[in-house]
Amino acid sequence: MKTHARTTVSVIFSIIFACTVPLVGQPSPDDAKSAQKFSVSSIQIQPMDPGDVPIPPDFAVSVYENLIVQVQKTGKFQHVYRSGDKAAADATDLVTLRTIAQSFNKGSQKKREVTTVAGATSITLKVQITDHTGQMLVDRDVQGKVRFFGENLRATYDFSKKVATIVRDTTF
Amino acid sequence: MSLRNTVAKWSIWARGLLLLIVSAPFFFFSAAPARSKTSDATQPVPTVVEPNAKLVIGGEAIKNNSMGTLSVVGSSLQFATKKATVDVPATTILDIFTNEDSRQDITGAAKVVTMAIPYGGGRVLSLFSHGVDVLTLEFTDANGGFHGVIYVLPQGQAAPIKKQLVAMGAKASVPLEEAAQTNK
Repeated sequence: MKTHARTTVSVIFSIIFACTVPLVGQPSPDDAKSAQKFSVSSIQIQPMDPGDVPIPPDFAVSVYENLIVQVQKTGKFQHVYRSGDKAAADATDLVTLRTIAQSFNKGSQKKREVTTVAGATSITLKVQITDHTGQMLVDRDVQGKVRFFGENLRATYDFSKKVATIVRDTTF
Repeated sequence: MSLRNTVAKWSIWARGLLLLIVSAPFFFFSAAPARSKTSDATQPVPTVVEPNAKLVIGGEAIKNNSMGTLSVVGSSLQFATKKATVDVPATTILDIFTNEDSRQDITGAAKVVTMAIPYGGGRVLSLFSHGVDVLTLEFTDANGGFHGVIYVLPQGQAAPIKKQLVAMGAKASVPLEEAAQTNK
């Protein structure tokens, strides 16, 4: 009786083993999906070019750092390189994201919260994404603002969220 | 009698000598940690320390808007929270900016509560704010990657840190004196 049970278990086990082994070698649907996902695998983000617009340095830094985080969050690129990163030189299918200041209005958190209608902070930047040959893939003006509540720097977060949406919707 | 006195004196001397011989190693070993303490003293001691600093953005390992201690340790600017520490060597700093700003006295959950105050009481509370210093750094990592970090410090605390960092080799496009004048 015992021997019979053992034989049954070993047969079931070998059937399961035989079924699963060929699957191990095949790429999983997730792998295939990620392979399709990264038609362009790398992006490099440049610091904001203030141009002639007097933008405080903390806003410029905040735009850059927020862009890095938000573009990473899109999951569209295997590598998000910072400006100047030596590793980006090896990437063959690199696209570059540049931001150029168009207008800036530093509002006031106090005014916003006291009056509701006044004191909005807004920042408008030209967003350009070019491929490795220099061909323009995206060229748009994007505005980030904080209208009611929150600190002035939150306008840069709003801006980078909008840029991340553009990056997500763009086919590279 | 005198012989007995002499013997007693000698025995006291002998005991003293024995005590000295026995205790000498203890003196020697107890001196050793003192030397190591001296060597500890040669380790970098923070020269400028600001315990109420807020990292607004740019701390890779540290979450945005974390409170911590900002200090100049050795030749680096260090921001430490209970969980993590971020070091920026002064020589990697490309630019330092200081400017003044103001922050609301009531923030976070308390801010939401104030919205419920009738007759615009919450708006009145928004009038209360305090001055702060904003310290912005631009620096590069080991790969040459460009980074930026923003700290908010109590008023008047950014200038000493900038001064110290510039003295240690950090670059600053706006000299400290000029920055102080523009802040006024």
